[in-house]
Amino acid sequence: MITRIALIALMGAALLPAADRPDRPEKLAFRPIAFEAPRVAAFKATLKNGIPVFLHSDPQGSPLVRINVQFRGGSYLDPKGKEGLASVLGSQWRAGGTEKTSAAALDERLAFLGASLQSSCGPMSGALNLEMLEKDLPEGLELLMEVLTRPTFAQDRLDLCKQQAGLALTSRNDSVTAIAGYQWPILLNGESHFSAVQPTSSSLAGIIREDLLALRVRLLHPDNLVVSVSGRLSRKAMLNLLDQGLGALKALKGAQVSPKVPPPDFIRKPGLYLVDKEVPQSMIRFALPGLRRSDPDWHAALVMNSILGGGGFTSRLMKKIRSDEGLTYGISSSLGEGPFWKGSWSGGLQTKTRSVAYALRLTLAEVERIKAQVVSEDELNTAKEAMIQAFPGDWSDKKAIVNTFATEWLIGWPEDFQASFCSKIQAITREDVQRVARKYLALDQLVVLVVGKTAEAEAGDVKDHPGLLKDVLKTPLVRLPLRDPKTMKPLS
Amino acid sequence: MTLHPRRSALAALMAAAPLLAQTIPVVERTLPNGMKVLLVERHDKPTIACGWVARVGSANEQVGQTGLAHLFEHMMFKGTKTIGTRDAKRDAELNKAQDAVYRTILEEMDLLREKQRRGEITDINDPKVRSERHQMTLGELETLVQEQRALIVKDEFVKIYTQFGATGMNANTTTDRTFFHIDVPSNKLELWAWLESDRLRNAVFREFYSERAVVLEERKQSTDATPTGAVFEAFGAMATLAAPRRWPVIGWPSDITQVTREQADAFFSTYYSPSNITAILVGDFKVAEAARLVEQYFGDIPASGKPLPKVITAEPAHPAEMRMNAEVEANPFVYVSYQGVAAVHRDTAALYILSSVLNGQSGRLVKSLVSTRKAATRAGSENMTGKFGGSFGLYAEPVPEGRLEDVEGLLYQEIEGIQKEGISERELQKVKNQIQVAVFMGQESNGSLRDQLAEAEAAGSYRDVLEEPARLQAVTREDVQRVARTYFAKENRSVLVVSRRKVPTDGLEDADLASLPEALRAQARQSLAGLVKEQDPAKLKQELEQMEAQASQVPPQFKPLLDFLQKIVRARIQKLEAK
Repeated sequence: MITRIALIALMGAALLPAADRPDRPEKLAFRPIAFEAPRVAAFKATLKNGIPVFLHSDPQGSPLVRINVQFRGGSYLDPKGKEGLASVLGSQWRAGGTEKTSAAALDERLAFLGASLQSSCGPMSGALNLEMLEKDLPEGLELLMEVLTRPTFAQDRLDLCKQQAGLALTSRNDSVTAIAGYQWPILLNGESHFSAVQPTSSSLAGIIREDLLALRVRLLHPDNLVVSVSGRLSRKAMLNLLDQGLGALKALKGAQVSPKVPPPDFIRKPGLYLVDKEVPQSMIRFALPGLRRSDPDWHAALVMNSILGGGGFTSRLMKKIRSDEGLTYGISSSLGEGPFWKGSWSGGLQTKTRSVAYALRLTLAEVERIKAQVVSEDELNTAKEAMIQAFPGDWSDKKAIVNTFATEWLIGWPEDFQASFCSKIQAITREDVQRVARKYLALDQLVVLVVGKTAEAEAGDVKDHPGLLKDVLKTPLVRLPLRDPKTMKPLS
Repeated sequence: MTLHPRRSALAALMAAAPLLAQTIPVVERTLPNGMKVLLVERHDKPTIACGWVARVGSANEQVGQTGLAHLFEHMMFKGTKTIGTRDAKRDAELNKAQDAVYRTILEEMDLLREKQRRGEITDINDPKVRSERHQMTLGELETLVQEQRALIVKDEFVKIYTQFGATGMNANTTTDRTFFHIDVPSNKLELWAWLESDRLRNAVFREFYSERAVVLEERKQSTDATPTGAVFEAFGAMATLAAPRRWPVIGWPSDITQVTREQADAFFSTYYSPSNITAILVGDFKVAEAARLVEQYFGDIPASGKPLPKVITAEPAHPAEMRMNAEVEANPFVYVSYQGVAAVHRDTAALYILSSVLNGQSGRLVKSLVSTRKAATRAGSENMTGKFGGSFGLYAEPVPEGRLEDVEGLLYQEIEGIQKEGISERELQKVKNQIQVAVFMGQESNGSLRDQLAEAEAAGSYRDVLEEPARLQAVTREDVQRVARTYFAKENRSVLVVSRRKVPTDGLEDADLASLPEALRAQARQSLAGLVKEQDPAKLKQELEQMEAQASQVPPQFKPLLDFLQKIVRARIQKLEAK
């Protein structure tokens, strides 16, 4: 019997298999995948000084080990007049060498091991990141601890770093992307909020070695740290090693638990902001106030955004602006998770300048449509299934998961957000989508930034799709000057 | 090195007997129609990295149809006879009707090109230059497009994948190949086989004419609207005299706007024959089951039987060094490109090692140009290889007060140093250790392994991925010195020197006036006529003060004018004081 079935199967494969192919892909049947979202508790440990560790041991994997030490603190701590300090610290913590090993010797040693040890620091957090062969782990850990606890911030490296940063400043008006990069946070969070404050040539000039030494001591408080580890290692042995190094770390005099990240104290001014730049294609960005991931509306908002602009080629904005009209290479929208204050619903596109007004008009029409009419069952289903069915793939790379868990811990999100993700998405209805669209997509709150040849953008597409830019929105049209790349003062 | 002497000795010992890369269990199958299939079974994630690569890229294009391979990549997402339309019969009729109308548009384009050749018009794509017939025919085309759009199930191909949990769907084109890839949940392999075999068997290039507009926007975004995009494109064309990699993959704008669906059809039937394609699956499946599925779905796609046109034109030896001096809005840098070799060339491994010795934080270029001489803030090198040839690049960004010619000279000195003295055993070992780690990392994710296998299949064979680590480990110091002596003749190089363009801030530039509303321009000209002749900065400062004092009283519609005048006067003062 078994042989006969096998034989039939074999013949089926050998004969022309056209009949075995259904005429539509929806008619295919798929065996279910059993998948349980990984839980934080299975990965978490705590060092003797309280530093949490998220660890994944993979004895069958590549002979590599990755150790990522993240710390709370970043450019939100930059003192006035020393803007750029945290970022320079991130660049120099490892590059500047240690008391025991000069900067050049450290470069050479790590390169010879084929290892990578890097430090970085962003607006709210930073990290030291080690990747290396399992066989070199003891030496790698030793170097990591040396860099963490005894960095010297060599003067010549610091000088080079400031020189490179100074050159980067001069490129601030070179492209629409760079211009939007500094104008956008000013419009969203206000000029004085740390997220919008940029280093200047004088603030960079004011950063000295002693500032870096002091900031390093300040940040390296055990309560600011979290570690994630993955690779070919034994959990027990690794925790032991970490406990001897990081676990023995004590707060030095001057160490501080990093304060809360300050939310912007700013009332957004809705409007259409224009920055003039001689380029063959303009950039448009738009944003509305959003919500936080912990908000009960979050999952409904995710589904809504996916249908509207977050779902790649299946989203309405992409279908309309790119596929139907050929106005852009890409348009998308996203929801900020709002780790420290409410996020935004925001998006953007690039289009030839005369199409700016038309593309924006079509974008706003799609926003109005998802508020006015309930989405179709089919669209809802596509958006939900996309998230639910991709979930196992997204949550099965344990190297990435331990880093995610560490980041979530650092932010202070509640544990195991992912555990209920699929069931919450599954519960969203068409009415939910419409409700959150109406709640969050209030166009009178819209902030739009256009960077490009403003006169041409304002005139609209005279021949093919007439309509002035100023008529697209009821909010005022405001011209913004470029800023002096070195001082960030407006060039009026 | 003084650091950890004992450990160094140990590491050297271990490196002498290097950890071998884990053998990748690639199973190769060839279907009766010539299509090749590579299968790598790995069960660490419930997903499968899927893809197929067609051995066709921009190097296979004809002049006048540049960008077709890439445009074609876009068209492969537009559906098939089954996917993407509610009425396949009417859809096909509408495609035919559009092509017929488009022939008239082509005639009009011929006339416009002639007018442009005679200098009667400057831009054949400007709506204003179109004849009445042209505009009318465009209207007819639009009507047909609208009728077809009503039947289209928008982006259905993508939608089906998405709703079944597939991620990372995309495609990309190079000079040598077109690669279509996606990651699917491990229970959806048959969905991949269904959709991909369907688009190889039944592709319909609907929405062809509007998709050209998308590509033009893509071109602007990636090339024209970036500070150095257009310059690198021109440099690539200059540095390659004859080989078909001299034109950009995305194509020249003239060709993108005039290519036709009929040309795309011909292109498809020539180059997308199963024997010119390799499919690659890496991930959570059973080899036997996957092989059966692939055969079931792809095995009966008919072979075209047409012979593949060969790429004949080879790059001739260059008679002289070539240089391009560009002024753009970017920080200054110099980029030197030497004619290199193809990916499968026997010298590729040694050139790669040479590049690695030069590159990186502890490489020769940074050590010399940046750390020791303090002439540059950044420096690096890259060895790039394609199917038919390659290039070896060196670059450096001078320090703010530094000179481009100085850093250029220093780059040559580093090559000369290796030509004369070779590299040290320790440098060679260091690079080999780095390669060892890079090999492990490159094989970790299913997607990364799939991509490497696809690239190798496009340039040679997937076996190159398996054999490359050993080839690199076999390179000797003598090999590196030999390639440094072989490929770095002066005639063999092209040099791109980029300096920052000064943005004009004074005088009566039309570009400046363009930022003002139309109604204010005449007034601006008038007000400025006197101001720009003034040579005394003190007087201009007085003017400026007056303007600042008036600022709050000016009616809002004149505010831009006042801002504009102030900007010009400030710039003028600055310039006069600098003298």
